[in-house]
Amino acid sequence: MILAQVVLNGFLVGAVYALFSSGLTLIWGMMNVVNFAHGDFVMIAMYVAFVAFTMLHLGPAIFVPLAAIMLFLLGVLVYYALVRHVMRGPMLAQILGTFGLALVLRYATLWVFSANFVSLPENLLGEVQTFAGLRLEPSRVAAGLAALGLTIGLHLLLTHTALGSRLLAVAEDRSAAMLVGIRPDPMQALAWGLGAACTGVAGALIALFFYITPTVGESLALIAFVVVCLGGFGSVPGALVAGLAIGIIESLSAFWIGPAFKDLVVFILFLAVLWFRPQGLLGKA
Amino acid sequence: MSAATIPTAPRAAGRWVLGVAALAALLAWPLLVEDEFIQRIGALVMLSALSASAWNLVGGYAGQISIGHVLFFGCGAYASLLGFTWFEWAPILGAPFGIATSLLLALIVGSPTLRLKGHYFSMATIALAELARIVVVNTPALGGAVGVSGPAMPRSVLDLSFISPLPYYYIFGSVLAVLLLFTWWMSRGRMGFYLRAIRGQERAARSLGVPAQRYKLFALLVSAAFTSLTGSLYAAMLGFVDPDSGLGILLSVKMVIAAALGGAGTLFGPLVGSAILVPLEEMTNAAFGGGGTGITYVVYGAIIVLISRFAPGGLAEIWTWLRARGTRRGG
Amino acid sequence: MSIARRHLLALPALLSASPLLAQGAPVKVGTLLPLTGVAASAGGSAKAAIELAVELINTPQPDLASMPLMATSGFPGLGGRPLQVVIADQQGSPSVAQNQALRLITQERVVAITNGYQSGLVQTASAIAERHGIPYVTGEAVATNLTERGFRWFFRTTPIGPDIAAIYVEFLQSARVNGRPVTKVAIVNENTEYGTSIAEVIRRTAEARGIGIALQIPYAANSADVSAQVLQLKDAQPDVAIFISYTSDAILYARTMRAQGYRPPILIGDNSGFSDDNFVQTAGDIAQGIINRSAFDPSRPGSNSFKVNALYKARTGREMDDTTARIMQGFLVTCDAINRAGATEPAAIQKALRETNLDAGQLMIGYRGVKFDEKGQNSMASVLLVQLRGREYISVWPEATATAPLQLPYKGWE
Repeated sequence: MILAQVVLNGFLVGAVYALFSSGLTLIWGMMNVVNFAHGDFVMIAMYVAFVAFTMLHLGPAIFVPLAAIMLFLLGVLVYYALVRHVMRGPMLAQILGTFGLALVLRYATLWVFSANFVSLPENLLGEVQTFAGLRLEPSRVAAGLAALGLTIGLHLLLTHTALGSRLLAVAEDRSAAMLVGIRPDPMQALAWGLGAACTGVAGALIALFFYITPTVGESLALIAFVVVCLGGFGSVPGALVAGLAIGIIESLSAFWIGPAFKDLVVFILFLAVLWFRPQGLLGKA
Repeated sequence: MSAATIPTAPRAAGRWVLGVAALAALLAWPLLVEDEFIQRIGALVMLSALSASAWNLVGGYAGQISIGHVLFFGCGAYASLLGFTWFEWAPILGAPFGIATSLLLALIVGSPTLRLKGHYFSMATIALAELARIVVVNTPALGGAVGVSGPAMPRSVLDLSFISPLPYYYIFGSVLAVLLLFTWWMSRGRMGFYLRAIRGQERAARSLGVPAQRYKLFALLVSAAFTSLTGSLYAAMLGFVDPDSGLGILLSVKMVIAAALGGAGTLFGPLVGSAILVPLEEMTNAAFGGGGTGITYVVYGAIIVLISRFAPGGLAEIWTWLRARGTRRGG
Repeated sequence: MSIARRHLLALPALLSASPLLAQGAPVKVGTLLPLTGVAASAGGSAKAAIELAVELINTPQPDLASMPLMATSGFPGLGGRPLQVVIADQQGSPSVAQNQALRLITQERVVAITNGYQSGLVQTASAIAERHGIPYVTGEAVATNLTERGFRWFFRTTPIGPDIAAIYVEFLQSARVNGRPVTKVAIVNENTEYGTSIAEVIRRTAEARGIGIALQIPYAANSADVSAQVLQLKDAQPDVAIFISYTSDAILYARTMRAQGYRPPILIGDNSGFSDDNFVQTAGDIAQGIINRSAFDPSRPGSNSFKVNALYKARTGREMDDTTARIMQGFLVTCDAINRAGATEPAAIQKALRETNLDAGQLMIGYRGVKFDEKGQNSMASVLLVQLRGREYISVWPEATATAPLQLPYKGWE
């Protein structure tokens, strides 16, 4: 029974990882841009949810879309003000620019809100439910469903719509896309906006069950990088599979071997996968 | 023939004069400043330039962006202080063992990892460094989470425990000079040529018969050895290392940032980047840190953002641009 | 938001107001705190307490007259010169801690350095102070080895591992679960220096007194999920669960235990994360009855602790937690020594620190007193146990000094 709960918790945590990574997959995978500020985008979304709830008394039905919109705008702004220029340079310039951006976002937040921990009430989406002896937190289930929804949505967008083809075309070959009449800048700005909006949904949902503090993005960002890489850059379903896999592996290894070693197991498996399959789980060779 | 050499000769001479003047300034300035804090920042600039220059061999010249170099730094730092903890050696005597461990690790993990492309390579290096950190945290014999310390009180000059920061400045500076000389020699030779070819178009380089894998591995080995030595020097100065300060991901990122800021793949880029970043970090902290508002990092981060925005290729780009303008005007 | 702003406004006002009351050039004391990085919230609370201490010393506080320097303004021993604190951010890095210690000594010319927070950072910063011959006083860092280095300029006011373990084990020996003695104890500790060293000393002390530790679960701090640890406990059903965690994980544990429906008969949350007012405000309501060790018991009206806590609350809107109180007490002890030294020469201050002999009534915290042994450790430091009721920790053990009786079993969210 306990083991079933361990697997279930791992599955739900994995869904959070997938959710957390969905926006990063789009930005990193599609555009080949590393976003070191990703964790801080999530953090900003958490504060949007917090401010909306405590100061404006808005419920999750409003603050989740609100966070998506705010982050969409932030993403577009960051693209035009920074990323567009940085992309002219080598990949290192992206690391430089987004690392600096991460510090600015993180500590501007600390300046405004102080370093104190805050949180939302844990039962905004209802009390813990018990099914067949298994305990389920509604907020985590919502996060899991959102991860699934966002993954399917992004996947359909990229593979079944004209907009998606254009996004992919720009990602594949910027100058070729220009030749067939696609203006790359609005497309890439849109990709950044969409990626950031997904991150916004993720942050607002994670805020339902996690603490909120300016440095919260740091502790989650590394795992998001691993998820995107393990799934294969540019593979949206890959991130979902990788996220769930890491969640379950972590949970089981924490239960059996000890929580101090769960990241050890994850990183060893990650390296093993890369060494034997250098394009990630679902990435194209 | 003679017409072509006339304009370049004074320029070459000018470059020599400039170089000698710069070297003299680097040697003399700490003696002219009495403030120990400023002198210490100078020493830290040298330390940062050392690790960033070592990283530059792999990340800059060969274009393999490692974000896990702290692995080698940690080997050096831990070897130094474990040598003291176990055998009461002067910390610097542990340095060769740190270098040996680093080389061994680089050999083992280098081949499979260097086959990875682009972001996959970067992520694998992060994972390797994190693995090392987690292993150390959970191994009491290596100091575990608590970390290991050097001698509390200096016992002999070999402990490299000085009150004044000046000896550190000159020690770090001389090691840096050796590394830069090696880099200069390498970049002019066949190896530098091959590495640049690999960075540009690895597949093309391979098809032209460049043994890419072997050269990348060689660059990694040299880089690992110097990064490890930097770690040993750091540990000798600080007298303490724990998993976060010796194997934390932030340190890897800082090596990348310093090199990228000055210009990766250029000889003096990492030094220039460090000479900007380290004082900037210390000065903003001295000026704003006590306020507790985080403004330190807002300023520090904003300056990094601005540099990446206006000089994505690092400050070396501005230098090249200025020189190009100068020659155009002169010609 | 408002709190951070208030600090900003309060600081210049305080600095400009103090010279009017006290006279002469200010005496500078340096304080190292973690104001950025993962421990920034603790650093922020501590900063407010240090600023409060400066205000209390520089203005007459008849209400607190039993404590040194409170009835007067500035340092009477130095002709009424005012106190000025130079707070520096150590950024959670041992190297930055050392840089800042050097800056405080050589640029700011402070007469002493206090605090430092994480033990590793106190270690590197105090090494610089030692080499320069400047007194260093930490009020909070607990790693035992800090006072084993043979330093002559290093002093520590806080109780350390063995003191902490002793009170837990004495309590466990006397506690009853369902009318029988405690037999099965589980420890869950974060695996950096703080969690590892406290867990280790509790284990050793408990085993020496015949209480076995049935289960120990070390985990990596700041993790995204802690449910596996909670399920391991739920599986093992210990009589007592002892958590040693920083704030972020403490909040997650409280929430996860509620989500997983797990409540041990006795729940102990050691100090750091569980004392933090951030924990009490965000997760206190679902962790009712958690037992914590503390040296600071502000629950008795009329006591120094009560009054200082009230002043702190007026300033920040928050309760002062134990770590913050220990930090503030360390700072006050340093100031008292400077005053008794009657001079700002480091050697005179060092001598005065060695001669420190404060009794319980002269402190703002519940130590038996402050008196340094030859290693620089306060030999009169002591700890008591407190229990969370509502959003306040009330002292419950030892019974002789308790404000209220202990309530068992652990209630959690009910």
